[in-house]
Amino acid sequence: MSPRTLFEKIWSDHVIVVSPQGEALLYVDFNLINEGQSFLAFDQLRMEGRTARRPQQHLAVTDHYLPTINRDRGPAGMPNPEIRRVVEMMDENAKEFGLPHVGWFHRDQGIAHVISPELGISQPGMLITCNDSHTATNGACGALAVPIGGGNQLRHVVATQTVWLKKPATMRISIDGTLPDAVTAKDVILAIIQTIGVGGATGYAVEYAGSAIRAMSMEGRLTICNMSIEAGARIGMIAPDDTTYEFLDGRPHAPQGADWDKALAYWATLPTDAGAQFDRELSFDAAQLAPMVSWGTSPEDCAPVNGVVPDPAGIDDSDRRRHVERALDYMKLKPATPLQDIAIDRVFIGSCTNSRIEDLRAAANVLRGRRVSVPGMVSPGSHGVKRQAEAEGLHEIFVAAGLEWRDPGCSMCNGSNGELIAPGERCASTTNRNFEGRQGRGALTHIMSPAMVAAAAVFGRLADVRRMTR
Amino acid sequence: MQPFTVLTAVAAPLEIAKIDTGMILPGRYMRRHRRPGHDYGEAFLYDLRFDDKGQPRADFPTNQPAYRDAKILVSDQDFGCGSSREGAAFAVMDFGLQALVGVSFGEIFQGNCIQNGIVAVTLPEAAIHDLWRQLREKPGAEITIDLPNQTVTAPDGNLHGFDISPLRKDRLVRGIDDIDVTLEYRDAIEAFETRRRAAVPWLPTAQRD
Repeated sequence: MSPRTLFEKIWSDHVIVVSPQGEALLYVDFNLINEGQSFLAFDQLRMEGRTARRPQQHLAVTDHYLPTINRDRGPAGMPNPEIRRVVEMMDENAKEFGLPHVGWFHRDQGIAHVISPELGISQPGMLITCNDSHTATNGACGALAVPIGGGNQLRHVVATQTVWLKKPATMRISIDGTLPDAVTAKDVILAIIQTIGVGGATGYAVEYAGSAIRAMSMEGRLTICNMSIEAGARIGMIAPDDTTYEFLDGRPHAPQGADWDKALAYWATLPTDAGAQFDRELSFDAAQLAPMVSWGTSPEDCAPVNGVVPDPAGIDDSDRRRHVERALDYMKLKPATPLQDIAIDRVFIGSCTNSRIEDLRAAANVLRGRRVSVPGMVSPGSHGVKRQAEAEGLHEIFVAAGLEWRDPGCSMCNGSNGELIAPGERCASTTNRNFEGRQGRGALTHIMSPAMVAAAAVFGRLADVRRMTR
Repeated sequence: MQPFTVLTAVAAPLEIAKIDTGMILPGRYMRRHRRPGHDYGEAFLYDLRFDDKGQPRADFPTNQPAYRDAKILVSDQDFGCGSSREGAAFAVMDFGLQALVGVSFGEIFQGNCIQNGIVAVTLPEAAIHDLWRQLREKPGAEITIDLPNQTVTAPDGNLHGFDISPLRKDRLVRGIDDIDVTLEYRDAIEAFETRRRAAVPWLPTAQRD
């Protein structure tokens, strides 16, 4: 057989049939469901009298609409009736369709893309779907993880345990060399998006490779794959290796005993073969990367923190110039302003991008013994992460510094749980999207790594964490 | 899903361009639990159909008695553009419409309509304007959509041909959605599942607790 890529191996392992129109019907090993819009799928299934074909290959996770405070007050802790209703509908739908559910008070509750790897559900070689655009996160475990729509596509996966997909092209992005101090996975993926643009990987399944990826922790790899969609790619993945195996070993849903040995043998066959061809190849030099911050209203609108706000007058491409003009107008920024002169009003540490234990350690390391100048909150990605952080005393560092220590959820990343940034407020955020209105109407978002958000919190403006590294 | 072959029904003219999915299904309805008797029919084009006080706007076509039984809407450019919300197609369906004939449609919206058995086909602008004129002159007039022959018959008997992909046409005529199409491969799915379970017996499963 000719050399194949990681993507091609997993894809072909899941093809059931190919339609005359060229779309493939693929088997879904596991599907994650969040409460946002999924009720549309369940309402339609109910009206059609359909049921879940393989309920045990699903996990419903309440993450988007759950407030991160007042959980001990029960439903009264969700004063907005519409938000409460969406949370309740997920409870009802999971129960009615017999789907396992990590709900409101579950000890594992957290963000789907945090808890699926954490519980050992996301494994190499699997095809995983979820009604969420950041599903590619799970590709860091060596899986083919694909976002699906919350209505018809989710309905189809629940009813049939399969999904119709058009085969994407393949792209390999190699990051080689050693990352400089204080340059994290978030900075790597922001630099990639800055370079190739928000449409740069549209239509591709991206494999991240190279020595910098090999040296990276699972937390870092999850952050990289998470933001594939911000470069346009629905699929992002990283070949399994010893780091993957050590991460999975002993987790609740990971294979055990003789199965573990068989799994290891299978997983070792998955990495891209030498000589396999990609439709597009890109490479980055890790040593040249720096801590990044966004200045505009698209994830590609970012720059190394020692840079300045761009001047639209110097941009030749008229479409890009119009975008930058509009972005600076929305962000209330003047061309050529040093990024480190931008004052902020609050910070947010959390989201499926950067809420894992390593992220919280990085932020706490900056904040230890310091006070923040602006308010903000920390929302760990899961109760598992929360328990670990509390065992390490990280929560005390955050609270002593002046930040709020919250419960897990998607929270202020998109505010669907009602936790929003006020109009005109400027937030340094570890999240993945800085679109207009993403964190609330008129909210001004700057995305960056957890350590960079912590540095910004201390100074009350965007800051270079390298000046603070202990 | 109901098969769609030939439909002769009252058609309502909607001479407004760029009606986006946010107008078809206003955002405030998007958290509504959709069930029989409490569906999205009320939400459909709510802000166009009703005034600030919730009173029906007399000048809106579907509020007029002649169009009360309309099952066809003759729309303008870019009907259903904007947000990909799938509830917009449900709103069309729950309102009682079975077909949309327009100058152009939002691509995702059009796909969602066809997925739910609603025919959404385009005709040239001149043909749409002629349909509007006839429907205005004779409120309550019927038009015929013949899907197998891919024609729309105007009240005056004029015939307009339309294009539709063979795949979409097949699904609509047979009244099958993508789940039905998939279930035609049921044997292949079950055989695949058996093979996969044997090859990868450790795949995770979850339990309700």
